[in-house]
Amino acid sequence: MVLEHTTNHAYSHPFPTVTLAYFLRYCSPQLNPFAKHVLSTDTISSHIDPETGRLHTTRIHLKKSRLPPAVFKLLPTSITGGNEANKSSYILETSVVDMKEGWMSTESRNLNFVGVLSVVEKQIYTMPKSQAKDSTTDVETTVVFRSRLGDKLRGRLGQAASSDDEAAPAKGGFFARLGARGIQRSIESLASTKTVDQLGKSREGMGIIMERLRQSGVMGVLEALRRGRERGLETA
Amino acid sequence: MSASLAPECNEVKERYDTCFLKWYSEKYLRGQGGTNENNECAAMFKEYQKCLTVALKDRGIDKLVEEAREDNKDNDALYLGRK
Repeated sequence: MVLEHTTNHAYSHPFPTVTLAYFLRYCSPQLNPFAKHVLSTDTISSHIDPETGRLHTTRIHLKKSRLPPAVFKLLPTSITGGNEANKSSYILETSVVDMKEGWMSTESRNLNFVGVLSVVEKQIYTMPKSQAKDSTTDVETTVVFRSRLGDKLRGRLGQAASSDDEAAPAKGGFFARLGARGIQRSIESLASTKTVDQLGKSREGMGIIMERLRQSGVMGVLEALRRGRERGLETA
Repeated sequence: MSASLAPECNEVKERYDTCFLKWYSEKYLRGQGGTNENNECAAMFKEYQKCLTVALKDRGIDKLVEEAREDNKDNDALYLGRK
């Protein structure tokens, strides 16, 4: 089962600013009020390809949300771990920037709960070919939702069922009752509805950062972040 | 700056992040990125990684990343027809 969703958008900011905002987008809730759910961000690799001059970056984000609540409610606690389970998920983000050719491609995917739901978001930011080249940036976002829940667990449940067959023939497991395909489809569509909502917020967040960059430049933004940190330390 | 997933790495991470953003906006975006060798943030990155690698291992995240990369290859082969 796979569900795919593609959207296009144009930012009214030049390409370099958009790429900078991308790196800054989870920097601080002061800078981006739509990033309150991001608990941490770490860079695990960053290098320039000597042949192409492209910048390759890999980061790991820790986000407060795990599965969409609707998906969570649909599943038995044996799969989700119940309400006591760790309420955050790790996201792996890879990006490539090519300044010469004027594009940036990014990919984000969840690292936990992949057996239940894998969400892969790919974006390609490009300088438009038209006259608006210096003032706007196009972005195409594709999100692929894929649930392998039944695929992965059916084997195990099947084994359990065969040994218990005579004892409890009518009971049936979670998947037997609802059907693995149906569950997968429900998970994918629930997740997709939530993600479409969030795409709007993520754009708004990017917009706020770019406005700040336009007003005070990157050094101004860095300085504001530093002051914010110090204030945080004082009140802590 | 956002925190590191490992609080003990916060300080080195912040130093690296600030350096990276400055380098990115003032040099890379202006076509003066240079090479990995002469990157002014390289030493800070090394320091940061020394701290972070341990934290990733402790939390089992290094394995999750590896799995994701393997899985990625499978998915691409399956759905995009790539090898």
